[in-house]
Amino acid sequence: MSRVLRRLLRHRGLLATLVQRELKARYRGSVLGFVWSLVNPLALILVYTFVFSTIFTPRDRLVVDFGPYGLFLATGVIPWIWLQVSWVEGSASLLANAGLIRKAAFPAELLPVVSVLSNLVHLLLALPILILAFAAMALFGVQTSFSWATASLLPLAIVVQLPGVAGVAIGLSALNVHFKDVRDLLANALTLLFFLTPILYTLRTLEPFPWVHAAVAWNPLTPFVTVYQEIVFYGRWPSPELWLLMVAVSLVLWILGTWLFERLSETLVEAV
Amino acid sequence: MSGGSPSAIRVDRLVKHFRRESSGHQLRTLKSALVERTLVRGLRPDEAIPAIDDISFEVPAGQAVGLIGSNGSGKSTLLKLAAGILRPTSGTIQVDGRVAALIELGAGFHPEISGRENIFINGAVLGLGRRQIEERFDDIVEFSGLASFIDEPVKTYSSGMYVRLGFAVAIHTDPDVLMVDEVLSVGDEAFAHRCLRRIEEMLGRGKTLLLVSHSLELVEEICDRALWLEKGVLRHDGHPRRVIDAYREAIAESEGEAHRRELESREEEEDEDEAEVLRWGSRQAEIVRVRVLVEGEERYHLRTGEEVAFEIEVEVHETLDDFAFGVAVATPRGHEVWGTNTDLAGFKPERLHAGRCVVRLVCPELRLAAGEYLIDIAVHAPDGTPYDYRRKLVALSATAAERGIGVYFPQHRWSFEGGVDWASD
Repeated sequence: MSRVLRRLLRHRGLLATLVQRELKARYRGSVLGFVWSLVNPLALILVYTFVFSTIFTPRDRLVVDFGPYGLFLATGVIPWIWLQVSWVEGSASLLANAGLIRKAAFPAELLPVVSVLSNLVHLLLALPILILAFAAMALFGVQTSFSWATASLLPLAIVVQLPGVAGVAIGLSALNVHFKDVRDLLANALTLLFFLTPILYTLRTLEPFPWVHAAVAWNPLTPFVTVYQEIVFYGRWPSPELWLLMVAVSLVLWILGTWLFERLSETLVEAV
Repeated sequence: MSGGSPSAIRVDRLVKHFRRESSGHQLRTLKSALVERTLVRGLRPDEAIPAIDDISFEVPAGQAVGLIGSNGSGKSTLLKLAAGILRPTSGTIQVDGRVAALIELGAGFHPEISGRENIFINGAVLGLGRRQIEERFDDIVEFSGLASFIDEPVKTYSSGMYVRLGFAVAIHTDPDVLMVDEVLSVGDEAFAHRCLRRIEEMLGRGKTLLLVSHSLELVEEICDRALWLEKGVLRHDGHPRRVIDAYREAIAESEGEAHRRELESREEEEDEDEAEVLRWGSRQAEIVRVRVLVEGEERYHLRTGEEVAFEIEVEVHETLDDFAFGVAVATPRGHEVWGTNTDLAGFKPERLHAGRCVVRLVCPELRLAAGEYLIDIAVHAPDGTPYDYRRKLVALSATAAERGIGVYFPQHRWSFEGGVDWASD
């Protein structure tokens, strides 16, 4: 197993402490504290639902096969936010904690993982809100295909994705120390990837445009989002291919990211 | 301490290069790296700064080692390599046992969080488990003396309080090897003493110490051995007093040189107003050159008791009947140590002929205490009228075999009668 993984496991106590520190520091001094983690996704869902049921109505049923479009959006955006914020914060984590790694014999790879895990906590708080929103829809008589059985796969999906998300954050964090343009490249790449991932639309919508369809279908992050849509929004059991693809992408991203980190780590401390 | 190994620290052909900041690497972009297809670029010789250049030594467990040297000599880099913060460019550095590096205290303190919570985080950063921190928590708080502030966010702490809390946590990690970089110089006197006592107590329990300090007295006081680094090379390794003496001597030499250069350049400017303070007189006779000869060779540092000669070359512009030569020694703060002139010595002037002459004042044993001294030289009339009076013309530094107070270091000897016992060594 990789050296990065070994070090993460050896320092898991420290990792937990740092995640706590991150969460505490974030909410310290704000009136609502942890409630923000619940308010943010709730606001997101309400706004999307309002906008796409009252102001706009989707062009046709092509966009979403069935169910409220606002919830479809929220189902894709909430896990996307996890990826995006983890990577943006993770890539900056070494520079942000320069004091820590310059002054103590500190396992630097912990820091991007702290970003990933503390944002995972936000995801875990947002998902129940999302599920509540489905329940509320049913209460108001809006037809959804939400199913508790398939939604119970959420933890598995997250566990499968975790190495990939962490690997990218680890690799980016080391790159960001050595190359000053990583932040800008990342911001642009994430915007592009957001539109290349079926979050605002479904893959089927793109069938009339074969090139775009191919690009989205081959986007390695596509399964990372569609799995949530499958198990939460559509209430379907994802195909074995989707799982396999997700596992493969996740492992490849982990290996690439940690390899990059190892390559760049010798001079990491003095470059920070 | 691990496995009965006699060495706590082993350094073998250690090399550490830093990249010159001006080499343009800092502005390197990922785009260019991808274009060049080289993610990790090797150091070209012209952009590498050798911070540590092929150093080897071993430290037996239980030894207290002081690292001395001027700024930029590589002391702190060596400490960071030993602490595992930096990685060597080549060679190895191996440390046995748990290390506590007191390099910058309070690493990982988060300003928004209380002192209490920061103790747990900082302790975890330094390698303690949660339970270990809980066990030591009260001791840590007591040592820091911050009990009444411990639930306040750290951002409300003064820098001294910050350091105290950091030191308290670090010292309670129960290290086998303690690495300390200059941290004792921050914080108040009382706390510095408490830290020092704690370090001495740990040394008493057989712990190993690696101390970087600009305070040579501190190194001499608590270390068994000193390493003197200069430009990344180990210049001297041995008993603290011998290494420190050699180091002081080298500093004095370069400082004396710098002082002389400064005086020379000041003279070249020859701005009358500026120069007036250091030189005045009618210039009927002019001091053109002064040399200091210690034990017969020109140098500007001496060991107490060495023979010192002041050699003064005077250009006499017109023949004078009334004249005296004087030499005075003072401390840099202006306290006169000793002064004399030919008049006081009883020479009666008859004639000073136009042209060059050389005056020598020899002190067979100049017993100055260790320190810096400035020498005034003058040619004047016995009634005090100056021909050429030059203040602070020469800088001289002295080292002594043992420390003392004041400016005078006479030969001396202690003897005891009755029930006075001294520990051998």
